[in-house]
Amino acid sequence: MATIQVHKKYAFKWYEKFYFMSISAGMWVTLKHFVKSAFLRRMVTVSYPEKKMPLSSRFRGLHRLKRNEKGQERCTACYCCQWVCPADAIQIVAAEVTPERQYLHPEDKYAKSFQVDLLRCIYCGLCEEACPKGAIYLDGGMPMPADSRDGLILDKAKMMETEGGAILGERN
Amino acid sequence: MAKIFVDGTEYEVDEKKNLIDALKDKGVEIPHFCYHSKLSVVGMCRICLIEIEGVPKFQAACNTPIKDGMKINAFGEKIVKAREGVMEFLLINHPLDCPVCDKAGECRLQNYSFSLGHETTRYKEEKRNIPQEKIGTNLLINHNRCILCYRCVRFDREVVGVNDLEMLARGNDTIIAYTPPETSGEKSTYLNHNYQGALADICPVGALLNENTLFQSRVWWYESHESHCHGCSTLCKVTTNVKNNALYRYMPAQNPHADGFFICDYGRFSGKNFSENRLLHYAEAGAKTTSKQVLPALADKIASARSILVIGGGTESCDDVDQIAASINEWRAAGKQVKWDFRSSRNAFSKGNDHYDFLLSGDLRPNAKYLRDKGATELKDFDALQSEIRNADLVVVIGELSAPYAYHMNATSENHAHVAGLEIANAVEDTELFGSLESAAAWIKTALFTTHHDSATLRAALAIPMLAFPERAGRFVDKTGATKTTNSVLKPVQGLESPGQILVRLKTAARPTAGASA
Repeated sequence: MATIQVHKKYAFKWYEKFYFMSISAGMWVTLKHFVKSAFLRRMVTVSYPEKKMPLSSRFRGLHRLKRNEKGQERCTACYCCQWVCPADAIQIVAAEVTPERQYLHPEDKYAKSFQVDLLRCIYCGLCEEACPKGAIYLDGGMPMPADSRDGLILDKAKMMETEGGAILGERN
Repeated sequence: MAKIFVDGTEYEVDEKKNLIDALKDKGVEIPHFCYHSKLSVVGMCRICLIEIEGVPKFQAACNTPIKDGMKINAFGEKIVKAREGVMEFLLINHPLDCPVCDKAGECRLQNYSFSLGHETTRYKEEKRNIPQEKIGTNLLINHNRCILCYRCVRFDREVVGVNDLEMLARGNDTIIAYTPPETSGEKSTYLNHNYQGALADICPVGALLNENTLFQSRVWWYESHESHCHGCSTLCKVTTNVKNNALYRYMPAQNPHADGFFICDYGRFSGKNFSENRLLHYAEAGAKTTSKQVLPALADKIASARSILVIGGGTESCDDVDQIAASINEWRAAGKQVKWDFRSSRNAFSKGNDHYDFLLSGDLRPNAKYLRDKGATELKDFDALQSEIRNADLVVVIGELSAPYAYHMNATSENHAHVAGLEIANAVEDTELFGSLESAAAWIKTALFTTHHDSATLRAALAIPMLAFPERAGRFVDKTGATKTTNSVLKPVQGLESPGQILVRLKTAARPTAGASA
């Protein structure tokens, strides 16, 4: 069987050997953006973290645990999110609600500890879908950098942390 | 045998059995909550309704005697609608809290709600809300979930033989309550018999829950294997519940008609917290060392000792017991005085073959019969044990002082549920054997084969880690003489061996170094 040579080394023409055309084509893009941002005030970057890009309303970022209308934790530690998580990022320890903390929880079971390992999480949003209580949403924005592995484990305190009071209801 | 027709199909069933059981044998499953093969029939739940030709009203299948030529309509349109109605009534007060209920996944009500019930409810009024109560040392009752099937009350009366659960109030307010028997001198606050796990198990809903395993896992996470319970010499057949290489509980066998419907709490929770605090290293006088130090030291001690006392072996499988017996015979052949005892704790002294209750044997060492056949003697009292220890040059304790077995020894059928799964490590210090070794100042001449790290391993001259019962398969001989096999249900710790294997290695252990002398 005859072999067909598919790959052939491209032979440069004499003028192509100077790379003049390629370089000027590349520089044209650079120049275009330079003119746009320097003279026409159309910036293509923002100075993060002072300024932030607007995110889509469906953007899946950091996890947040929600509260209900009475300010009680919605999460009842049913383990549905831990069960569905394809990356094994969620670890829950459940406990029984004692009368002293009954006002914090609508049911008799709560998550004593709720940890999301951001190094494992793939932000697929399945936990959002699996949650029967509407307790977890990935609406916390961009993941924050940290200087250690421990810093990238979201615990309950971080996920319940809110700006201006309890997070109520649906995804914001 | 009687011929009956179910939805037009002819079945030949055993007329001595209950209709539900008889049809189940033929593969026809009539839904039921309150009916249980081992309990009397009450017909409380009405979910097993069937239509019988010639009878104007629907009948409860559990309460219908089998007659030859009976024509049953079990899954027709009319009867399915009737069951839907019953289901709706049962679910009136039942909260929708399957996500937080420990029973979810093994719940009859959940299953039948999926298969027979409606998606929605027409009930608009407020559901009753009665707070959850602790009624047993290891038992919680959630009245809201209860469907009043009467199974728990019947079980306590008919199987356990205590009259301490009762239905209180009437109508919508009916609850199951703990009513301590009046005759006993002091009233107990909690139900404290040995079958609280079985109560939670036969409850068809999540009303009765074991505090012991509460909220620790979901049932669909458990891996199940067939095995035999290691708790006593009854050796019940069980299904194991393992998650993340930790044993949570035993459940009754897959085929209860052959292997028994119930297991006691003693066995059910015997493997609880087992994986915690394992002894994973050899130790010499409490300090961590290696097998290269300890095994020659032990070989040397055996060589120099004139009288050896071997205590234990009843927790080990037949192969290990054979090996222990072989070693003992070798030592005897070498002219040593060897005494082999087992069951060295007060609760086990001279219990023989009697029973704590209908399942739990007085013999808490599973392989006791085999050991007796092999020539081990049983100590009858505490003083005998102490004098034996004083007279011996070397005391070899095999398994008897490891925490789960010691806990077994210590717990009685009355208090075990309270102890079960908790603080088993502390149980070692309360054993007779620990006390005897302590008072005879015999730790210096003690070699300990054990599974868990505890105060005994810190004191003993030599401590040797070994594999424990859930980690290895083995044969056991129960009290009736039947051979039963346990399976390895947990992944064994790498490098650990069973006492039999260690004794084999001991023979080939190098001659002692200068430092390791008694």
